[in-house]
Amino acid sequence: MKPLLITSALLFAASVRRPVFVAGLACSLAYLASRGVALGRLPLIGPQDTLAFFSGSIGLMALPFVYDRRLSGVRWFCWGCGGLAALFAALALPFPTLNMPLPPVLDTYWFELHVALAFFAYALFGIAALLGVLFLRGAGRPALDLQYRAALVGYSFFSLSMVCGGIWGYYAWGTYWLWTAKELWTSILWMFYSLYLHLRLKGPAWERGFAWLGIAGFAITLFTYLGVSMLMRSSHSF
Amino acid sequence: MLKKLYATFCSLNLGLWLMTGVMVTLAIGSFSSASSEGGGLNDMPLLFWLQRAPLGYSWWLWLCIACIAVLFVNALVCSIDALRKKGRSVAPHLMHAGFLLIVLAHLLSAYGGFKQQLQLPQGDSFGFPDGERVVVERITGEVGPMGMMSGYRADLRTADGVHGVQPNHPLFHKGYGIYIKDVALSPVPVALFEVHREPGALAAFVGALLFTVGNLMLLAQRRGR
Repeated sequence: MKPLLITSALLFAASVRRPVFVAGLACSLAYLASRGVALGRLPLIGPQDTLAFFSGSIGLMALPFVYDRRLSGVRWFCWGCGGLAALFAALALPFPTLNMPLPPVLDTYWFELHVALAFFAYALFGIAALLGVLFLRGAGRPALDLQYRAALVGYSFFSLSMVCGGIWGYYAWGTYWLWTAKELWTSILWMFYSLYLHLRLKGPAWERGFAWLGIAGFAITLFTYLGVSMLMRSSHSF
Repeated sequence: MLKKLYATFCSLNLGLWLMTGVMVTLAIGSFSSASSEGGGLNDMPLLFWLQRAPLGYSWWLWLCIACIAVLFVNALVCSIDALRKKGRSVAPHLMHAGFLLIVLAHLLSAYGGFKQQLQLPQGDSFGFPDGERVVVERITGEVGPMGMMSGYRADLRTADGVHGVQPNHPLFHKGYGIYIKDVALSPVPVALFEVHREPGALAAFVGALLFTVGNLMLLAQRRGR
């Protein structure tokens, strides 16, 4: 199965043209599907599966933006999205695949929904950051509008993920909230994008700040996902 | 004076600064030993913990709560102000209402929450505050191919019959949730239970529903714009 992941990383990395990007996405989804069939569940446990899932999510969520007419003149945007997906696919490669069955407490649809929606949100925050770079490099107002759209949909996925996590936590742990590093950073990320969406109300004078916030948001996303899982002890550690 | 206060609490800038305050205090808290596993913050209701914890240990949480309290008023006043004007979409205010309910839910749980761990062998029992005994009738478990527990369960006898408790399937009884956390089958079957009371759970769920409905309405309104 790993050759599929390697192929997806290579195709994503070379996705200067949109068909190459789509081919990379197809390989990534085929890899995730094969892992899912082998495990009998969504592959969402351990660094390899989550990084590969994140890579596939970036490809999937980027697709409507890559084919958006307003960005058709900016060829490097497709390559940027592909590069981001390739980076996480490549990061997944050194880790071993975990083929263990789900621990009983994780064996619920609420858990799968919670994690999958969080990765869709993370992916959209990454795409929003790329669109922010695009705006700052002179792509104009459409890039900023698309950044807002990516962040809003990402925020919606992320909020839903938190709701699913709360319901799962209530049935699994007896509480919908725990004071752990991961929950705190999840709340920080949610609050950050709440602030970002409110900042739009301040009008055109804040456009550059808005674009920069979209970029900073992805840094917080990466810390919430990778930094907290690797550096801090929490119920969400790998 | 009142007009000035109203304008202050209605301010978008105030909301943005408060959100920043919440983020900064939570970020500091994430590095504090209070939010680590041994910090005790998850072992008792928040208000009890705050009363007992030294200020040097809990200051970030006091600051965070202060920011959230003012943010609560800010969101409430902003929504009231916006809804008084005609032609405004209700979607963001449903999201505000959801947020306010979730904050209230946390307050309820922080005051009236309860958590206790019990390690009980098969045949043993534990008591409820009204004197009712809950008996652990049977503890079973299956060991998976890798030697890990792939599933476990306990049958609990209460006054109204026998109920099974499994991971993700707690027993809700008299306002408490009884959760099975772990099982050991030898030398005698023993289970680790947790009894929880989470009085804010319903408010949090309704808040989450309101927030989600508002969020979906907002997405529908922004489509194609």
